[in-house]
Amino acid sequence: MIPALASASAFSWLGPLTVLAHARGGEAASFLAGAGHPVSGLDHVLAMVAVGLWGAQLGAPAVWLLPVTFPVVMAFGGMLGLLGVDLPGAEIGIAVSALVLGAAVLAEWRPPLAVAAVLVGAFAVFHGHAHGTELPAGADGFAYSVGFVVSTGLLHAAGIAVGLVHRWPAGRAALRAAGAGVAAAGAWFLWGAVT
Amino acid sequence: MSRVLVVLAALVALASVASAHELRPAYLELRETAPGDYDVLWKTPMVGEARLDLVPEFPAGARATSPVATRKPPGAAVQTWTLRAPGLRGQTLRIRGLDVTMTDTLVRVQHADGTTWTKRLTPQQPAATVPEAQGRGEVFAGFLALGIEHILFGADHLLFVLGLLLLVDGRGMLLKTVTAFTVAHSITLAVATLGIAHAPAAPLNAAIALSILFLGPEIVRKWRGGTSLTLRHPWVVAFAFGLLHGFGFSSALSDTGLPRADLPLALLSFNVGVEVGQVAFVALVLALVRSFRQLELVWPRAVARLPGYAIGTLGAFWTLDRTLALVGGLA
Amino acid sequence: MRRPTLLLAALVLVATARDAHAHLVNTGFGPFYDGLAHPLVVVSDLLPALAVALLGGLRGPGTGRAVVIALPVAWLAGMALGAATALPPPPPASGAALTALLGVLVASDRPWPRAAVVGAAVVAGVALGLGNGRELGAVAGGRVALVGVACTVFVLASIVAGQVAVLRARAARIVVRVAGSWVAATGLLMLGWTLR
Repeated sequence: MIPALASASAFSWLGPLTVLAHARGGEAASFLAGAGHPVSGLDHVLAMVAVGLWGAQLGAPAVWLLPVTFPVVMAFGGMLGLLGVDLPGAEIGIAVSALVLGAAVLAEWRPPLAVAAVLVGAFAVFHGHAHGTELPAGADGFAYSVGFVVSTGLLHAAGIAVGLVHRWPAGRAALRAAGAGVAAAGAWFLWGAVT
Repeated sequence: MSRVLVVLAALVALASVASAHELRPAYLELRETAPGDYDVLWKTPMVGEARLDLVPEFPAGARATSPVATRKPPGAAVQTWTLRAPGLRGQTLRIRGLDVTMTDTLVRVQHADGTTWTKRLTPQQPAATVPEAQGRGEVFAGFLALGIEHILFGADHLLFVLGLLLLVDGRGMLLKTVTAFTVAHSITLAVATLGIAHAPAAPLNAAIALSILFLGPEIVRKWRGGTSLTLRHPWVVAFAFGLLHGFGFSSALSDTGLPRADLPLALLSFNVGVEVGQVAFVALVLALVRSFRQLELVWPRAVARLPGYAIGTLGAFWTLDRTLALVGGLA
Repeated sequence: MRRPTLLLAALVLVATARDAHAHLVNTGFGPFYDGLAHPLVVVSDLLPALAVALLGGLRGPGTGRAVVIALPVAWLAGMALGAATALPPPPPASGAALTALLGVLVASDRPWPRAAVVGAAVVAGVALGLGNGRELGAVAGGRVALVGVACTVFVLASIVAGQVAVLRARAARIVVRVAGSWVAATGLLMLGWTLR
């Protein structure tokens, strides 16, 4: 009995995930569930791609600061969501983020780095929080988290890659047009969130 | 190259201790002689004097129609009987006890229409359902995995490859040597599996051990700045001994019981698996050596020479061990 | 491009990982190989080990070298301690917090002194090793498995730290930092998961 207890507690330091771990293959399924989650909502996807676009527009150091800090801040938001910390108006916050980020790309707005960082950071917290509260029960925690983080990072990378067209005049115009699209979609989501 | 392979030696040396049990999967063959009538062949590896406690479980409605005949060739127990079952397609076969062992079971079902189904059951997955229709893809995947496992978990083959890596200098020579080993063992693997030639197991194992022992003094010769035919043309040695190792691979393959209808496919996929595993091992060794260089990590001479000594020592030990087994078998 | 490839490999492992948390890794080839596979399959061990290697590599060959030796030695010591003694298990969140912290250290890419980086490697190695020792030390052949774990930790750390140590291009270092940030993010999410 004692060894059995000891080995049970040995796993428990990984947390309740052991208890939740279900049938074999659960990890793979959890990974895919985590990877699929960030792309399941159009508002999230648009705002995240907009972050990448804006970063590319702003150039260094924002463009490389962004992919390094965003996942951590987002995960922080996700942690708050998991812990049950209430963040009122998360849906509105996400819609406003999309609106503001889209507008910033449209206007080629260049605020001081700190302002841009706070703006993006606030969005990251909202984004992470929304996902944190929606985490499915019974999923394997680590696999789900890894999938979630990787998927977010790849969306980002896609935004930055698209944003690289900023180098060419025609690309700049296209980028601003994309910003206008994101802002319009953000306004639409905001309308949906408040009504 | 020869200065930094410390870990690998430790790893392989330990591996040889760890895998004191040889990798011998169990084998279940069900051959449909008339619709619903099956000849059953059940081969289980022996652990010392005891048979590994595995029992095949057939779908409900299946019953034996003959007494079980038992033979005991060296290292295994072979049981044969006949079985009447209302068609195995879509039914589940399970190996009871497999989940608490460390071995695999290869299951092969040959239907009356000549089509076959082969599946490797593992401790993680001790049961499988015979598919309605048979896929060649599954045969390929099964034997590919078997090939990869056989090379990655066969300490003697890996130790020989490690020895070759210690002997060669430069990429060209490395490529030539590894290719020679590959070509040679592929030839004998095919020749032996297709039944054109045959090597008895006991002398073969001793000879393979001898091939590893042979590399030890050559490595020492290289440290001392000497030269020899082996050091000038390591590919010659790789080719010659590769022929031996191919017979070794073949015996592992025929141990599993080969699907007669799919023999070329099984042979090909097993061989591809062996090469995949071998390339992965070589790549891992080279990556490790490279990272030591990147980290400017220089091992003390005693540590750096460990792999060479490990090869010589283990080669000598295996040679004696297997020769004694051979002599004992003759007497 | 090397880091993404590595991460991809890690992901494939995550996706194919079986039985990782539920019970011990079973390769079917005996305890040594189970031990070899363990750190690669158990993501909660893999990520912090990866972070330590990245951290050491970012500080150049000297620190990388020290970390490559310190991590497996500390891990082995932790495993020996975990297997030999009946220490109470650490609080559930400690593994996740450690992962998050190491990830943040990599992502920030500050010129940490060598002693600090090696200290982090030792702490991580002992902590993770303690867990492994407690799990594996109790089962038959577990001691052999522990040696396998240490081998994989050493090989993994050497290859990762070696590749990172020679990176000079800024973009390449950014990629490493991004990898660190992903590790940190995973650790934070796990922290939330364990504490909720």
